[in-house]
Amino acid sequence: MLVKYEFLKIVRKKSTLIVMAVSLILTGFLFGLPIMQYQIYDQDGVRKGIKGIAYEKEQFAEVSVPLSEEYVAETIREVQELFEDPDNIGNDGNEQFLIGDAYWDKVAPREKLLNLIAGTYSGPNDSWGYNRFPELDLKDKTSFYQAMRGKIQALLDNPSRVLSREQKRYWSAMADQVDVPLQYGYYGGWEIIISSFELLMFAVLAICIVVAPVFSGEYQAGTDAVILSAKYGKTKLTTAKIAASLIFGTAAFFLHVVVACGLPLIAFGTDGWNLPLQIANTTIPYPFTFLQAVLRNIGIIYLVLLAVIGLTLLLSAKMKSPYLVLMILVPILFIPVFLTPNGTAGVYNLILFLLPYRSAMPEFGKYISYQFGGLVLDVLTIRAVLYVVLTVIMLPLAGAGFRKHQAA
Amino acid sequence: MKLQLKKLRKQYGEKCAVNNVSVNLTPGVYGLLGANGAGKTTLMRMICGVLKPTSGCICLNGKTMGQLGERYYTHLGYMPQDFGFYPDFTAREFMLYMAAVKGLDKKQAKRRTEALLHMVNLTEAADKKIKSYSGGMKQRLGIAQAELNRPAILILDEPTAGLDPKERVRFRNLISDFAKEKIVILSTHIVSDVSYIADTILMMKQGRFLLQEPMSEVTDSIKGKVWELLVDERTAAEYSRKYSVVNLHHEDGMVRLRMVEETAPERDAKAVEPGLEDLFIYHNGR
Repeated sequence: MLVKYEFLKIVRKKSTLIVMAVSLILTGFLFGLPIMQYQIYDQDGVRKGIKGIAYEKEQFAEVSVPLSEEYVAETIREVQELFEDPDNIGNDGNEQFLIGDAYWDKVAPREKLLNLIAGTYSGPNDSWGYNRFPELDLKDKTSFYQAMRGKIQALLDNPSRVLSREQKRYWSAMADQVDVPLQYGYYGGWEIIISSFELLMFAVLAICIVVAPVFSGEYQAGTDAVILSAKYGKTKLTTAKIAASLIFGTAAFFLHVVVACGLPLIAFGTDGWNLPLQIANTTIPYPFTFLQAVLRNIGIIYLVLLAVIGLTLLLSAKMKSPYLVLMILVPILFIPVFLTPNGTAGVYNLILFLLPYRSAMPEFGKYISYQFGGLVLDVLTIRAVLYVVLTVIMLPLAGAGFRKHQAA
Repeated sequence: MKLQLKKLRKQYGEKCAVNNVSVNLTPGVYGLLGANGAGKTTLMRMICGVLKPTSGCICLNGKTMGQLGERYYTHLGYMPQDFGFYPDFTAREFMLYMAAVKGLDKKQAKRRTEALLHMVNLTEAADKKIKSYSGGMKQRLGIAQAELNRPAILILDEPTAGLDPKERVRFRNLISDFAKEKIVILSTHIVSDVSYIADTILMMKQGRFLLQEPMSEVTDSIKGKVWELLVDERTAAEYSRKYSVVNLHHEDGMVRLRMVEETAPERDAKAVEPGLEDLFIYHNGR
């Protein structure tokens, strides 16, 4: 009963409706932008928006195959043969590339796949496209999956990453769990979602704006003395306020998630949900499908949200006005936007990757890990653990803050 | 039912808002009088358990607040001064919410809500949002919520402030209805309100009780110290500066003054029956 009324107190406010409406529109706009701005080129020019997406999906239909060693070798050979005909080759002074029908008929429809294959054979600090295929010697028997593992190892061994032996072992073992051959296919919608996750921080902020008055609003309105002098004011009511905030936060968050994921998936389709993340980047060590990756990261952002709600409630219980709460909260959430990591190791970077804003970014291909003695945890796991712990600490502290409040 | 305040003290830095207050309260209406800053609200909030005393303790039937825990609050009904309601709730929702906070079960909550809304004449407006209520309606809703759990101790902080005379009379009658067999502590600036319904007067000044007297005897101490006289306007202005003037009334070019002084301010001054307002001015100055 108390939870119901506390929930009603939150949702009945006009400010709640306004903040939620603005936040949902903003989320819709931000996640809808890639749809509106989407464009792809064919021989006749540019195709935009939904038409462009449909055209790209048609092209992917032909390459939705398992990337067997034979298939990859055959694909490389086909491109190499195209480069053997001088009429097919253009040059911009730096590098050569295919032109004319050779490009539009044989490369353009599968350029993403060709670049993925080329990138797998490149060195750890290089960025190769299909135009580097002529340099590959297929006779040296270096298979695609050997190259994939070799590149991962080279990345792990790169001195700039400063990874310990245990960390390298951890990542290699994880990468070994990736099922091969990789099944290729279209994954446009999931790619948009994964690359835009941090935009959900606006939703987190909006939820915190709504939750900020849960305790401090009572102090501001002068209702604190009435409720704290009632039988359950310092006990069940405090729990009810926290529960109502979490229920509201959860409902509002998943409403935003529906908008954020719904728009790209409606426009680009759900194709690719069961395909491995490695078809976007073969050096990703996480053995997840796109759907699993998205769900896991949504889960982590949700845990971040719970901890941030905990912090908001704690500040709300300690401060006399919701505005003061937000004055502290907004910098905590958004200052990390302006802090850029300068690597993947070192205290600064390792802390930065755990701050709320950065925690929304999955960083699947960065091999960010934390070592405690012999125990190695990847960034996704440590974020989940950290934010669960913070939630568990902060919610009871918020409750205690309200219970101890002096209605002077 | 016996509520004991034992050497209750509340200190804010250098300032002592309530200074070693001790009193035993049994059922009856207690009018708590005092100027602004005298410590009335602080004292009430400590009794309500929302403000921790710096020292001293509050006992109900011999047990301290700490010993009673949640049970202490089941005996309590509190209507603070100027408290905001939840503007987006209707009166009925607010009452049901407060009933839940006070630990009433669903059935009781509904029954008490309907009865009290009827009693405070808000049944027709019960489903209107509180933000549309007038000041008087809000005050009535305030006392209704305080009465939800049939408290043995009812604490009302300035309940008639901001009400027009008609609403004040109505409100006084409501308090009288609710006061039966309860300890009611009523703080107000409006001395006449107290004089109508209080059994005992508690007067506070600088955090201490100056007076703890039954209503019938409270003015005895200033008998022979309240004076009336008719003077011209110039003299009235001079006396207003010089003496504690309780009232000033213009009559045909002359001014009738009511003053509280130890001795007659002049030979023509006539001693009159003292009232509560006279007592207030006597203790709190002009």
